[in-house]
Amino acid sequence: METLLEDFISDEDLKTCEKLYNDELRRGIRNPKTKFDYAWCLIRSRYPADTRKGVLFMEDLFKNGDESARRDYVYYLAFGKCKLKEYSSANRYIKAFLEIEPSNRQAKELQEVIQKRITREGLAGAAIAGGIVAVVVGTAFALLKK
Amino acid sequence: MRTISRTDRSRDAVRCTTMTESGPYNYSYIFKYIIIGDMGVGKSCLLHQFTEKKFMSDCPHTIGVEFGTRIIEVAGQKIKLQIWDTAGQERFRAVTRSYYRGAAGALMVYDVTRRSTYNHLSSWLTDARNLTNPNTVIFLIGNKSDLEAQREVPYEEAKQFADENGLMFLECSAKTGDRVEDAFLETARKIYQNIQDGNLDLNAAESGVQHKPQTQNTLLGNIQDKKESCNC
Ligand SMILES: Nc1nc2c(ncn2[C@@H]2O[C@H](COP(=O)(O)OP(=O)(O)OP(=O)(O)O)[C@@H](O)[C@H]2O)c(=O)[nH]1
Ligand SMILES: [Mg+2]
Repeated sequence: METLLEDFISDEDLKTCEKLYNDELRRGIRNPKTKFDYAWCLIRSRYPADTRKGVLFMEDLFKNGDESARRDYVYYLAFGKCKLKEYSSANRYIKAFLEIEPSNRQAKELQEVIQKRITREGLAGAAIAGGIVAVVVGTAFALLKK
Repeated sequence: MRTISRTDRSRDAVRCTTMTESGPYNYSYIFKYIIIGDMGVGKSCLLHQFTEKKFMSDCPHTIGVEFGTRIIEVAGQKIKLQIWDTAGQERFRAVTRSYYRGAAGALMVYDVTRRSTYNHLSSWLTDARNLTNPNTVIFLIGNKSDLEAQREVPYEEAKQFADENGLMFLECSAKTGDRVEDAFLETARKIYQNIQDGNLDLNAAESGVQHKPQTQNTLLGNIQDKKESCNC
């Protein structure tokens, strides 16, 4: 899991994804699939600004995207937040995920990393998370359950 | 390749992966593998069986990509395998493609009890050929060989497909563990052979192979030898 968190996408692959997304956007196509690909690429970027943008995209997808892919969105929200060192919101997302799939190994590994880092860093970053996350996670519980 | 050297520096990188590892510097090569194939064919189970020697009977679909490592020995050389297990679900296809680059080995898996997973092999093979380098060793694996009664793809048919396309091939079972080691090890032997024959440029980032000078830590080496021998 630590390896995945430190695995960065190449600039070339990121550009390809970005281009696909922007081309569709220009032609007025809104395809959640393309947006997800782009969001995932952004989250995997070495630059936190990209990751942040990717997380915003995932949040939007969570609300307006493909319903059957919701678990993926929530997982990557946790993953992205973890990369951004926003551990307490990362923790809330991964908890929401594990409510639905308690035995998911990937999610459990991610949660382990998040919790270890929370302990390591103390609760310093915890307050930053803010209100939006609480709302999104609240909806996450509600939506994933149906 | 930049990624790989980075992870080696991370002291946690090895922790969650395999029991047989005792230290990140105790090997002389790193080989990158990818595992590809339709969803549900057993890719994650194969990886888990290889790194943990356990079978997961109730395994959720992989989200995006998973990762595992294990150190093996080929011709007296310790080799660290870094294995990227990709999600087979169609919706991840675009992004998992970005993991193919720089793979030294590609394990291409189908399920012997589901013909559709075999029929899709040509499309997986096209991806593997287009996105890796010409020296990448592609190993075809027919998984779930324990389910003989439900078999839909005869061994001979797949063997012929493999021969026609120049692939290595075997059938195995992630459930019983039968021949799982062979698939990973034979791939490594073939890659190692390519290195010995001078077919692989170790300096090229795309080769999927990294050479590491052996470090002084013989103590770890000894512990590891013991651990590995009791696992056999
Ligand atoms: N009988 C039997 N079942 C197996 C074997 N390997 C895997 N399975 C089962 O097949 C199902 C799918 O296995 P996974 O390893 O999750 O498949 P996957 O290829 O990783 O699937 P994706 O992650 O969606 O791409 C699981 O329920 C496993 O328990 C095997 O060798 N024999
Ligand atoms: Mg899987």
